[in-house]
Amino acid sequence: MMVKHHPNENLLAEYAAGSLPFGLSIGISAHLHFCSHCQHRLEQLNSLGGSLLEEGQSVPVDEGLLDKLMARIDNPIEMPASSASRFNLPGVVEKLVPDLKALRWRRLSPSLKVSRLNTGQDRYEVALHKISRGGKVAEHGHRGQEVTVVLKGSFSDDDGVYTPGDFLLREPGDIHRPRATQNQDCLCLSVVEAPVSLTGWFYRLLNPFLGFKPS
Amino acid sequence: MHVKSERNDDWSSLLSEVGSNRDRAAFIRLFKHFAPLIKGYSLSKTPRDMGVENSDELVQEVMLKVWQKAPYFDSRKAAASTWIYTIARNCRIDLLRRGAKHQNTGLEADDVWQPDEDNEPYSLLQHSRDHDSIKSCFRQLPVEQSHILTKVYMEGKSHSEVASELDLPLGTVKSRVRLALKKLQVMLRG
Repeated sequence: MMVKHHPNENLLAEYAAGSLPFGLSIGISAHLHFCSHCQHRLEQLNSLGGSLLEEGQSVPVDEGLLDKLMARIDNPIEMPASSASRFNLPGVVEKLVPDLKALRWRRLSPSLKVSRLNTGQDRYEVALHKISRGGKVAEHGHRGQEVTVVLKGSFSDDDGVYTPGDFLLREPGDIHRPRATQNQDCLCLSVVEAPVSLTGWFYRLLNPFLGFKPS
Repeated sequence: MHVKSERNDDWSSLLSEVGSNRDRAAFIRLFKHFAPLIKGYSLSKTPRDMGVENSDELVQEVMLKVWQKAPYFDSRKAAASTWIYTIARNCRIDLLRRGAKHQNTGLEADDVWQPDEDNEPYSLLQHSRDHDSIKSCFRQLPVEQSHILTKVYMEGKSHSEVASELDLPLGTVKSRVRLALKKLQVMLRG
C-alpha cells in the first residue's frame, strides 16, 4: 500500500544530520519502515553528510590511537542479533515493545487506549495509541508538536484517511477529531512534545491527556 | 536485473576489501584518511558537549565499528564516506546521550537510525552520480545556505538552535534548508 503522508524536508534533513531530537527521530524511523520513497530521500541526505564529512576539517589524532584500535579489532565481535520481526512493526517499535500482547494499556475514553513507552528521554512523550474499530476520539487541540505514525489499521479525520506508514505532524493549535475505520482497530505511534488539551471547558475538566506528563 | 556497478572511488573499494578479506592494510589506509576527518566532525560539536579526549574516544569507536560492520558494506548502495558518516553520526548521538545521563533503556542510535539492509539500491546510475557531483553542487550554493547546512550536519544543531545562534527567525532557517536541498536536487538532476 502506498504511504501518502511523509515527513517534510526539514524533519528528514535534521534526522539525517542526527540533530533531530531523539523522540521525533523515533517517529521518523517508524515511518521509514513503511516508506521506500523516504528511504531514498534519506539516502540522498545521508550522502550529503558523507560529502560534508570528506570536506570537513581534518584534525590529527593521537599517535597511539591506531595501535590501540588494532589491538581491539581481534576481540570477538558483539553484533546484536538482528531479531526477526515478530509483529511486522518497525524495528524501533519492536525494540521498545518486546511483547505487544503483554503491553499494559490505560483507557482514556471508551474507544481510546494508551500505552506509554520508555525511551530514556523526557522532551517528547512516546506512546502507542489504540482506537477501537469505529471508535471516535474527542476533538482535541495541540499545545505542542505531535507526530503520529499509523502502524496498523487506519483512522480518518476531516482531512482524510490514514493508513499504515502515514506520518502526520500536528502543529500547536491544530484541532482534529480522529476516528478509526469500522472494520479494524487502529494502532498508532505518537510522539508528543507537550500534553495535548481537549477543547471546550468540559473536556478541560476531564482532560484524560493531562496525565501525559513526560517522566 | 541490476548490473553491479562498482564505485570508482578508492575508499569504497578499500572498504569492500576490509569487508570481504578482512584486509588490515586496507583498513589502516582507511584509518589514516578518515580518522582525522571523524575527529574534525566530532570537534565541530561545541567543546562543552564533546571534549578533546572524547573526540579520540569517538574516533576509536567509529573505526572499530567500521571494521566490525565492513562485511555489510555494499558499495552499490552508498559511498564509503556516506557509510562512515552514518556510523560516526550514530556514535556521536550515543556519546552525547550517555553524557546527558539518559536513562538506560537499551535503545541506541542504531535502533533509531537503522541501516536499511533489505531495500534494493534505488537507481544505481542515479545513485553513483549523486555522490560524485554532490560535493561540487554544494560549493555552488549561496554561502548563507551552505553555512546553515554545515551547522545542521557537522555541528549537529537543530534548526531552532541554528536560528537562535544566528539570530534568525526559525522560519528563515527552515526555508534556507529547504531551498538548499531543492537546489542540490535540481543540480543533481540537471
